[in-house]
Amino acid sequence: MSWRSFALRAAALLLLVLFITAPQLFAFAFKPLTINDAPAIYNQGSLLALTLSHLRIVFLATLASTVLAVGLGIFVTRASGSEFLPLSRSLVNIGQTFPPIAVLAIAVPLVGFGEKPTFIALFLYGLLPIFENTLTGLTEVSPQTLEAAKGMGMNPRQRLLQVELPLAFPVILAGIRLSVIISLGTATIGSTVAAKGLGEVIIAGLQSNNVAFVLQGGLVVALLAVLIHDGLGLAERMAARRLGRHLDEVS
Amino acid sequence: MIEIEHLTKRYGATTVVDDVSLRVEDGTIAVVVGTSGAGKSTLLRMINRLVEPSAGRVLIDGEDTMAIPEDELRHRIGYVIQGYGLFPHRTVAENIATVPRLLGWDKRRIAARVEELLDLFQLDPAEFAGKFPHELSGGQQQRVGVARALAAKPALLLMDEPFGALDPVIRSKAQVDLLAIQRRLGTTIVLVTHDMNEAFQLGDRIAVMDQARLLQYDTPAQLLTHPAEAFVEQLVGTAERPFRLLSLLHVQAALEPGGAEGEPIRITDSLRDALSRLIWAGREALPVVDASGALVGRVSVKGILAHGRSVA
Amino acid sequence: MAILIGVALFASPFVIYRANRIVAGEGRMLFDALPPSGAFAVAAVALGVALCGALIRTPLIRLAAASVGLCVIFPAVGWSAGFVAPAGNTFARVSPSLGFWLLALAFALIAADALTRLRLGPWARLAALAAAVGAIALLLLSGAWTDLSLLKEYANRQDTFWREARQHLWLAFGSMMAACLVGLPLGVLAHRVRAVRTGILQVLSIVQTIPSIALFGILIAPLGYLAAQVPLLAALGIRGIGAAPAFIALLLYSLLPVVANTVTGLNQVPTAVTDAARGMGLSVRQRLWQVELPLALPVILAGIRIVLVQNLGLATVAALIGGGGFGTFVFQGIGQTAIDLVLLGAIPTVALSFAAAIVLDAIIDLTRRGSS
Repeated sequence: MSWRSFALRAAALLLLVLFITAPQLFAFAFKPLTINDAPAIYNQGSLLALTLSHLRIVFLATLASTVLAVGLGIFVTRASGSEFLPLSRSLVNIGQTFPPIAVLAIAVPLVGFGEKPTFIALFLYGLLPIFENTLTGLTEVSPQTLEAAKGMGMNPRQRLLQVELPLAFPVILAGIRLSVIISLGTATIGSTVAAKGLGEVIIAGLQSNNVAFVLQGGLVVALLAVLIHDGLGLAERMAARRLGRHLDEVS
Repeated sequence: MIEIEHLTKRYGATTVVDDVSLRVEDGTIAVVVGTSGAGKSTLLRMINRLVEPSAGRVLIDGEDTMAIPEDELRHRIGYVIQGYGLFPHRTVAENIATVPRLLGWDKRRIAARVEELLDLFQLDPAEFAGKFPHELSGGQQQRVGVARALAAKPALLLMDEPFGALDPVIRSKAQVDLLAIQRRLGTTIVLVTHDMNEAFQLGDRIAVMDQARLLQYDTPAQLLTHPAEAFVEQLVGTAERPFRLLSLLHVQAALEPGGAEGEPIRITDSLRDALSRLIWAGREALPVVDASGALVGRVSVKGILAHGRSVA
Repeated sequence: MAILIGVALFASPFVIYRANRIVAGEGRMLFDALPPSGAFAVAAVALGVALCGALIRTPLIRLAAASVGLCVIFPAVGWSAGFVAPAGNTFARVSPSLGFWLLALAFALIAADALTRLRLGPWARLAALAAAVGAIALLLLSGAWTDLSLLKEYANRQDTFWREARQHLWLAFGSMMAACLVGLPLGVLAHRVRAVRTGILQVLSIVQTIPSIALFGILIAPLGYLAAQVPLLAALGIRGIGAAPAFIALLLYSLLPVVANTVTGLNQVPTAVTDAARGMGLSVRQRLWQVELPLALPVILAGIRIVLVQNLGLATVAALIGGGGFGTFVFQGIGQTAIDLVLLGAIPTVALSFAAAIVLDAIIDLTRRGSS
């Protein structure tokens, strides 16, 4: 990583932390956007608390999706589950045409308002990219490597844990990253169903016609997403480099 | 000793290995040659049960391989494939340590073994132990692949086209090195290749396969002078025959008493090399010396040519 | 699968009956939801499909069985609505319930599995889609579903529905076209000039990372400012909230797939081919139009497929900032806890994305066939 890009990232992170812990410092910048002496900085809750609960639900949902999706991915790539491989592939394709908001909307009548429908939507939608990438990662392990592992007397469990999963790891990580980014966005919309999160700031701004709220909510969510995306991307590239592969910078 | 008895593999109606029997003595190299699709790899993979035989059996030192649990059997047999299948996520040292770790050796013993093998394969442990496979050249990867297969000191090593991915110059060096290591460790090797030169250079005995059948299993000299079928004769190459035969013999075999003028030839050189030196020097005969450099006799063009005929 | 169907038939309510659209409903099991003969018929067909799914391996037969199943339960749920609701009661609502959805899911899974195994060609897939669309249109037009709650919601807001539908399509397709107009030249440029490539792709991938509402929110401020300063823009309907920021946000999201896939597609053109074209004396422009773009077309179309499916979904969120579209019903429905209203917005969105994905996949297959 070059000095310049490191400094840029550090500055963005610092700015974000400073803003959510002491937003009043930035009131001057948002003041011109308000009308009728409306508050310039979101005043119905602490930005820090909202950020933390936003991150908490994304983290928990992603954790749950990862466990299930990787488990399913492993199952359908074993001999015993191969029967379900083509079906699960097409299900993933179909599932991805569902907009996350639709999943969220349908969950509300089933479980009521609050964190629950958001968690369900995040969890369900988060499964898809992780499952897809687990499949890709596991099926792309070179047959030679597997042949060698088998020839040296590794049992199926050892092959999975010591060879297949470590090799698929960067690809699975890419799936998790995608899932986290989608979840961050969906969790923002989750505020419309009363989940605690940064979406609240934007929604409050839209309802009270306060552009300053909308903008600061948008900026915090955007900065958060970009930094997390970048951080996970870095981890992924490090994992891939160990394997001598170079992931496309953009993907 | 490996005894293969009536080994057969059928997939549905097609038979890919048809009733093959052969025996490999301890400490020797048996090379299986044939065109692609002849069933050589399947034969090899039935020895460590990567392919389960349809009929027949394999005995290792008299023990039926079917009586040994698969994984345990494979821990005891080294296996090298074309492209080596090194684990890209593990360092050279970790790759070599694979089977010892599966066997639960203690750390110190593994470390000592890895270092020993790296030395044996002329890879400086300080430099190479921590490298990842993608940081190695093709030749280095090949050596790591063989070292990994030898890590748990297997008495038997199976090799499937182990030099297939190397370019010609590195390949012949790798073949010489393998031969030297095999002679030193006394490992029994079964090697599959489609390269006839490789077979003649490495094989104590050569098995020729075609269309699932074993046509002939014999010493290289016998294969040249008494080919069992037209296909064997064609495969060993009629034009190359005398030279192949000569390269199997040492100067010792054609040693004549007396002396000659010119640059001396070593008694351990092959007759083929001696002949080429004679032609190049434009002489009828050259002096022969032993390892210490003492003159032991002479070798002549006529004497050599007598060994290159079909009825030697 | 058979267990799923069994649970659906005998352990879960087939429809939900509610006295009006807001109150909590009560489930009706299959045998309470239909006259006995009808219930027996549905159960028999469903069990038949379950048996087929469990015993028969031939994909074509499984597909046929699943289709029959779907063709039975879809009209059945409409019939049930008429049967359950007291005659003449306009407030009562009947909607499909767990049992129906599980049956539909099970049949759809069997059908999807069979379709995957059949490996249909592009034309066959398009035909299957057309058949499904035709069947649904027939159900809607025939009035078989008129008594269902969903259709009642529709009947109440017929005008709004089609207005929002037009808006939704305009947002999704309009932004996609705009993205192509901007993105294709940008992609060609990025392919030619390395320095441009990394810069553009990095910026676009950062944009892609920003969650949709956040981007809408970020755009509201500058657009509002512009509209206030430049009367012409305001006259064109560009305001801080509304469709303008949604359109622009969708356009920005669409650029990455279009540009990235254009670059990838052009990169994949074999050097031998471009060399040969140059050797035959084609100019730079001729090479681009006659050789490179046609060869890159499948990859570019794959980018457009991503854009379209993504935009059709994201356009739903536009309703939050007053941008209209099917999201209007979704968010209204959430606000009123009226599930049928949510579905009125969600189902067309999902159906559209699904159809768009199938159509574009088929087109991609067809162009690929032509170029290889």
